[in-house]
Amino acid sequence: MRATQVLRPKQPRNFLATLGVSAVLLLVHAVASRLVPWSPKRGLGLAFGIVAALAFVFEMSYPARRPAARPLFTARNWIQVHVYLGVVALLAALIHAGLAWPRGGFGWWLFLLSAWTTLTGLLGVWLQKWIPPALAEGLQVEALYERIPALVEQLLAEADALMAETSDVLDRFYRTELRGRLATLAPSWGFLLDVRGGRERALEPLRRMVGFAEAEEKAKVEDLMSIYTEKMELDAQYSLQRILRQWLWLHVPAAGLLMGLLVIHVLTWVWY
Amino acid sequence: MSSPVDKAALRERYERRLQLMVPADMGQLRALPLFSGIPEKAREKVIEKVRKYIHFCSFAPGEEVLREGDYGDSAYYIVDGSAEVVLKKAVADTEGGARPKVRGGAHVPAAQRPGARPEGQMLGRGAATSSTVILSAFPAEIAPGGRTVLGAGEIFGEISALSRYPISATVRAETSLSLLQIRLPGLRMLSASSKEFKKFLDTRYRERTLARHLRSVSLFAELDEPVIESLKEKAELVSFEPGQRIAEEGEPAEAFYLVRGGYVKVSVATGTADLAVTYLRTGDFAGEASLVLDEVWPFSLQALEHVELVKLAKDDLKKMLAGFPGIQEEMWRAMVARLKLRGAATRNPVSSEYLQMAMDTGLIHGESVLLIDLSTCTRCDECVRGCANAHEGQPRFIREGERYRNWLVPTACYQCTDPTCMMDCPTGAITRAVGTLEVQINPATCIGCGNCAARCPWGNITMVEMDELRPDGKHVELASKCDLCFGRPEGPACVQMCPHGSAVRVSFKDMERVITTLR
Repeated sequence: MRATQVLRPKQPRNFLATLGVSAVLLLVHAVASRLVPWSPKRGLGLAFGIVAALAFVFEMSYPARRPAARPLFTARNWIQVHVYLGVVALLAALIHAGLAWPRGGFGWWLFLLSAWTTLTGLLGVWLQKWIPPALAEGLQVEALYERIPALVEQLLAEADALMAETSDVLDRFYRTELRGRLATLAPSWGFLLDVRGGRERALEPLRRMVGFAEAEEKAKVEDLMSIYTEKMELDAQYSLQRILRQWLWLHVPAAGLLMGLLVIHVLTWVWY
Repeated sequence: MSSPVDKAALRERYERRLQLMVPADMGQLRALPLFSGIPEKAREKVIEKVRKYIHFCSFAPGEEVLREGDYGDSAYYIVDGSAEVVLKKAVADTEGGARPKVRGGAHVPAAQRPGARPEGQMLGRGAATSSTVILSAFPAEIAPGGRTVLGAGEIFGEISALSRYPISATVRAETSLSLLQIRLPGLRMLSASSKEFKKFLDTRYRERTLARHLRSVSLFAELDEPVIESLKEKAELVSFEPGQRIAEEGEPAEAFYLVRGGYVKVSVATGTADLAVTYLRTGDFAGEASLVLDEVWPFSLQALEHVELVKLAKDDLKKMLAGFPGIQEEMWRAMVARLKLRGAATRNPVSSEYLQMAMDTGLIHGESVLLIDLSTCTRCDECVRGCANAHEGQPRFIREGERYRNWLVPTACYQCTDPTCMMDCPTGAITRAVGTLEVQINPATCIGCGNCAARCPWGNITMVEMDELRPDGKHVELASKCDLCFGRPEGPACVQMCPHGSAVRVSFKDMERVITTLR
């Protein structure tokens, strides 16, 4: 998949709207900060802070899309709003701070968490656009994530059964070279770059074995090759599906912490 | 939906019914006039062959044999006693008048969606294809709301079984009723081996249903009564087995065909390959080119399954339709549209490939098939979670199934045009309301016999273990299937809750949309 495809927005209209809104926000800041000194505590500076806080609260309500995606009609609308509003919220927060580096430890925490949450969110968007086509176009096997370990066990049993009555040479080769690799899942980050990566090299010994094997064993080796190929496809499925699930650990806890700090920030402003 | 029902009684009644279904005995069968039409030499052999599809069954007075709206796979021959046929619905109800409301989203049939071509303009498609409802099988003389009585020697249910139309009237035992239940394969075998039996069935179809069938085809809708009568007389009823060629491209076209049951592949030869152009289903027609232009067959027609056709000789039809310029105009339109489709298929073989896939996999039966685009699906399972949320925590499908290129066809009910799952439900728990897509199972009356699950050719009905225990200590199992989230205002949750728009529902009645979606 080409990088341009990943960068292409799914809903160009929403992307353009976000660009437009961002430009307007920056323009307002540019004009306003020339007219009066910018302060996060009053006037437009405060307004931007309120906008950013509300946007972050809405961002945190993303799980509320279940069960019926109200009031945005579809889960697709929800995710679009979640992504683009997240970017606008970060921008509003930066403008609220006068597009300057934060002052004090608390300010830095807020700044870093906002930036982290937004960037990991965008990383999620990239992963969600990069991985599915790689899985669909690069692999023949499609499997439910939870079932992959059981499927690997099944493949191992199949391979064991296939090798039950075979020559010593082939049996030794299977036990020493292959069985271990078939027995356990081998997740790898490498699949992110090449979903079929390492496959040819891994199959090479088996190909050589086809050359050595006697006529009646050739078919067995070929079957073994297809079992191993399937296993490697399951490795890729497992690795990439795991990444699709686990990137949320980078995003959600930070977002929760940000929300907590935001509440303290707002309460501090209200009380003092 | 669920009124209090004594399930134990329903189950007991079903089990009793199974015990009362006695495999037919050779001696008993031989004595029946039903088989007298088979030449004496072959009779013994034929009876032996069809015996496994024939059962004797008996019903107490008042018991229902067939229910209006269900689908049947058997014909019933009355051996003894009498049956009462009751027609509940007004004809207007089923012919476009007061249909139940069809909800939005994926529930809207293809032809009713904004921007869709009117059904009449669809290629060779009769009005019958817009809805699965055609009155059939019972004597036309019954007025809506009226009743008639059938006695010994009469047969009923055969048209619904052969043409896969919903049963149009309820049949109850009026007296103690002894019946011979002939399942579809047996019915076909008998038709093939006994000219007299075939004639008997054909005559009944001709008398009871053909006129209505002809009228249901948009092409013939404006014909007056005498012409329809004359068409009825001239029509030949033919059937083809799966794979059999009905017409060959390039050969002289001498007939016009109207599909009364089954699916027909329309294809053109390109080199050594047979390129699928479209398919025909109940209510569709073929052969208009021969009528309009005296052309040879521009396509080949091939039966995809057992097909029942109404064949009208070209010359007869030409004479009869001479006074109807409207029909001729429509035929021109249909022919041009079909030729355009032929051109499109040869120019873009990918479309043809999708069509072939739909025919090979049986997806052509689906009126609302869930497809998941694997190139955008993030495997988050929000579709399954959405489904579970809409069904008290119990999802009605899993994200596993056949894969075609980047598309996954999960094991979710296709809502088939002629749902075979509805054929053998002993309690009538599985239903489809007239004019709607959703085939639903009523958990209040489902007794977990598993007939529907066994009948679904795609394995899209599962038996789910419930907490409730049966008297024998085993858990009660109930049939569970996708009901398109019936009653959910937002439509099917799987589609609505997919955050990436990867889950879509398509009707394979509308191949154009299917091809656009899959491309």
